[in-house]
Amino acid sequence: MTIDRRDFLRHATRVAALGAIFPRSMLPRLVRVPPPAGWSVAVDPDPAALAATAVDAARGAGAAYADVRLTFRQWRGFGWPPSELEEMGMGARALVNGYWGFASTPYWTPDEAARVGREAVAQAKANALGTQRVVELGTIPRVSGGEWSSPMQVDPFALAPGEVADWMDGLRGWASELGGGLGINWTVGFVKERRTFASSEGSTWGQTFHTTSASVGVDYKERRWGLDFLGPAQGGWEIVQRAPVRDGIRRIKEAIDEDVALPEKPVEVGRYAVLFDVGAMAALLAQTIGYATELDRALGYEANAGGTSYLNDPLAMLGSYRAGAPALTVTANRGEPGALATVRWDDEGVAPESFTLVKDGVLADFQTTRESAAWLAPWYEKTGRPARSHGCASAPSALDLTMQHTPNLALQPGAGDADFDALLAGMPDGLAIRQVRPEMDQQHSSGVGLNTSNSVYEVKRGKRVAVVKGAGMLFRATDLWRNLTALAGAKSLRWLPAGQSEKGEPSQTTPYSLGVVPGVFKDITIVDIMRKA
Amino acid sequence: MSRASTRDARPFSLAAEPRRFLSRDDCEALAQRVIGFARGGGETLLSITSEWTGELRWARNRATVAGDRRGNVIRITRAIDGARAQVSTNQTDDETLAAAVRAAERLLRLGRTVPTDFPDPPVPHEYPATHIWSEPTYAQGADIRAAAARALVEPAERAGMLSAGYLGVMARGSALVGTNSGPAMYTPQTFAECSMTVRDPKGTGSGWAGLSSYDWGRIDAPALAARALEKCLASRNPVAIEPGRYTLIMEPQATFALARLVVGSLDRITEEEKQLGPFAAGIDPFTGLRTTKLGRKVLDARITIEHDPMDPDLGVVPFTLENGGIQPYRRATWVDHGVLTKLAYDRGYALHQRMENEGFPNSGSFRMSGGDSSMEEMIRTTRRGLLVTRFSNVVVLDWNSVLATGVTRDGLWLIENGKISRPVKNLRFTESPMFAFNAIEQLGPPERVYSPEAPAIVPAVKVRDFSFTSTVDAI
Repeated sequence: MTIDRRDFLRHATRVAALGAIFPRSMLPRLVRVPPPAGWSVAVDPDPAALAATAVDAARGAGAAYADVRLTFRQWRGFGWPPSELEEMGMGARALVNGYWGFASTPYWTPDEAARVGREAVAQAKANALGTQRVVELGTIPRVSGGEWSSPMQVDPFALAPGEVADWMDGLRGWASELGGGLGINWTVGFVKERRTFASSEGSTWGQTFHTTSASVGVDYKERRWGLDFLGPAQGGWEIVQRAPVRDGIRRIKEAIDEDVALPEKPVEVGRYAVLFDVGAMAALLAQTIGYATELDRALGYEANAGGTSYLNDPLAMLGSYRAGAPALTVTANRGEPGALATVRWDDEGVAPESFTLVKDGVLADFQTTRESAAWLAPWYEKTGRPARSHGCASAPSALDLTMQHTPNLALQPGAGDADFDALLAGMPDGLAIRQVRPEMDQQHSSGVGLNTSNSVYEVKRGKRVAVVKGAGMLFRATDLWRNLTALAGAKSLRWLPAGQSEKGEPSQTTPYSLGVVPGVFKDITIVDIMRKA
Repeated sequence: MSRASTRDARPFSLAAEPRRFLSRDDCEALAQRVIGFARGGGETLLSITSEWTGELRWARNRATVAGDRRGNVIRITRAIDGARAQVSTNQTDDETLAAAVRAAERLLRLGRTVPTDFPDPPVPHEYPATHIWSEPTYAQGADIRAAAARALVEPAERAGMLSAGYLGVMARGSALVGTNSGPAMYTPQTFAECSMTVRDPKGTGSGWAGLSSYDWGRIDAPALAARALEKCLASRNPVAIEPGRYTLIMEPQATFALARLVVGSLDRITEEEKQLGPFAAGIDPFTGLRTTKLGRKVLDARITIEHDPMDPDLGVVPFTLENGGIQPYRRATWVDHGVLTKLAYDRGYALHQRMENEGFPNSGSFRMSGGDSSMEEMIRTTRRGLLVTRFSNVVVLDWNSVLATGVTRDGLWLIENGKISRPVKNLRFTESPMFAFNAIEQLGPPERVYSPEAPAIVPAVKVRDFSFTSTVDAI
């Protein structure tokens, strides 16, 4: 929240540049220091007791339902200057007469706990003077003293900080010997977050999340390509330590060598068969079906913020709307190990289940919370299922209101075992696109795909023959997925960070991951993105 | 330029009730404690922002949540012998602050020393007195917001439409205190914003209106509600038209989306990338310095773009805390009758490219000059053209030409023979403000727009040959 990514990257760039100027021996010697513990909780307050205090205060003030979250986040970043961040938060949510109130504070004291509990009710009551509003939360299994931690093997917060810097310096030294002026650019950041929850229904849980994010960029022959398997992902330092980083850098060098050997040609506007690699597939899935199947968005709850959805009549569209080709099946889950939206319980105490959003090309479900699941009751009744939350409630921290956010999404791979190279070899002609940045309209129904760096290739008889400059794509979400003709097999499935699920006013974001495979599409409109009318 | 010291007591009363954000005294006391915890010499610098938000969201004609949020960001920088480390916390107790200082000093011992490029600038002691605190805004309670929202929803509901919106007020204290920077610099400020979208339940029309100011009293919320409803009703059942070049009348909110790209380009020249922006002219082959288009005509001669931190209609914090340093905002005329007269830059650029000791920061807040054409007159004098409410999802494709793309939103109408003839489906544009603001036909009077963090005042503008490149189904 305070150290933005751009700053972080800029500082990191500066460190990397200095590394290039001074030979390694001139870099200051690293001093090993003992691992620090979290420093904000020196007084060690009991978050479960505070949560109970706040819930009691809300009930006492007249809440029909209340839940309270406490979050403690530690962030450690290796860049310039090195930095650490700790943030504590406590937030209470209360329901009165169908109206929600919310209050949050950074201070973990019993007085503040009681205050936010009462304040949330006061906020709700101010609106409860209006026309009655119906909120059906349904019943969920009670979680009593639940405890969960995201899997992590090497705790980054228990590492000597010098170890990370040493590791990266070693990598840079090794990479500089690859020759050709190849340089490495890196940043590393770790997050450890403890969340505590209690509700007036008697549910309580504590969960600990570890996230590691490393960015290793390879600067070579005027290109900068990054490794895409270093997170952000849930896990510890092992994500970086055990990753085939050196192999990855060698492969990028070879790929860039191949790339620069290809002739460059300007884009020829037209319709093409296109093979998208995993990076492009993740971006396209996130910006289309990922956004459009948020139920609150579809029903206009985000109309004044990010916008609505092209899936704008959920009850009429479910079970019949062709969201894509029959080969398209998209599932959602919050259980994929390592994925960024993975939890044992969501921020309303629901244990999320895996569910299918698009089945064989047909719209089958939406992302829901306890409140919004009830809005689809007729559909669930018709299909013989309970109107139960899919566990998509989330928030960046307890300082922010809980909202519906995107869970992890997975594209079901194709039946065969074709990978990117096999799909490429099977293309008579067309384009292959490594990365694309989709920019959408306010309903995510249509967009332009911007070509980031050199990532569009002309394909002839199954081979990449040229780098295409200035190509962009113009697409409608539904047409795009209806034009899906083939997907790579399960062996090609990759989980990638999706960027962020963005919601609300003021806007808040939470991370999630996407499981994708390369895919082939027909009739993709390719345009010169810089050309005016 | 007249200046007043904000170190003096200001007409500002944080009531005796439990404080919702950190006061000047709180920040000074906190900083003295932190400075006392430092060990090993060197410098200690704190930047503190502390804020309270009271807000209400509604959708489908009902309040969906009302909230009261509080938060701090306390950033502590320790610097010893050219090494620098930063930690950040939102806690104010001694144990945490002492531990935070220890953490920063531990990071220092990582030994990632980078020789300091240049010594920190002397900290200026005087800042413009800006108009950014409104007591009634700070005093606005949840009951007032709730009643206001009910009144805003009512006309839309009565018309059978669906209203969604946001109404929020915020108060923030920003402080900077350091061992080398004299007494604490502190500025309290308030924010208020209100915006709403009214949609036809069938999804065939959408209207929007919004406004922000430091003062809730300067936002006529009922007028916004009437405008959003009117736009929704008038935009229903749009017909598709061919993309292409159109004469375009932009309401101020639409002008703002393009003008902010021009203002955002003013400090582009300090970037370390290739895209130095539209105001870079190249690199001088002899000195190696970046050359600029200062003194050249870059926009239509009717356009002047100014920045004045003391402008009572703009209201910005008088200084920036970027990168832990502090610099006052100063009055500037960026573009004077179309001629580029001033660029913004950071201190690194000032030292290396301009041989000056101080940067010239850009707050992003600005006033763009206009003309005296009314909206009716602009429409009446248009044979064939479009009228747009606002743009959404605008991204820059190329910073050197400021070529951008985005979509129209919440009301787009075709004008034929001097009259609005019908609503049309949204379009995607691919256009540069550097082109559009050189093809101006008429300008309206400047007015405040919705821009919560960096206030702006811009006119409605009629331009020729605005490039729309594709149709958009979204409503």
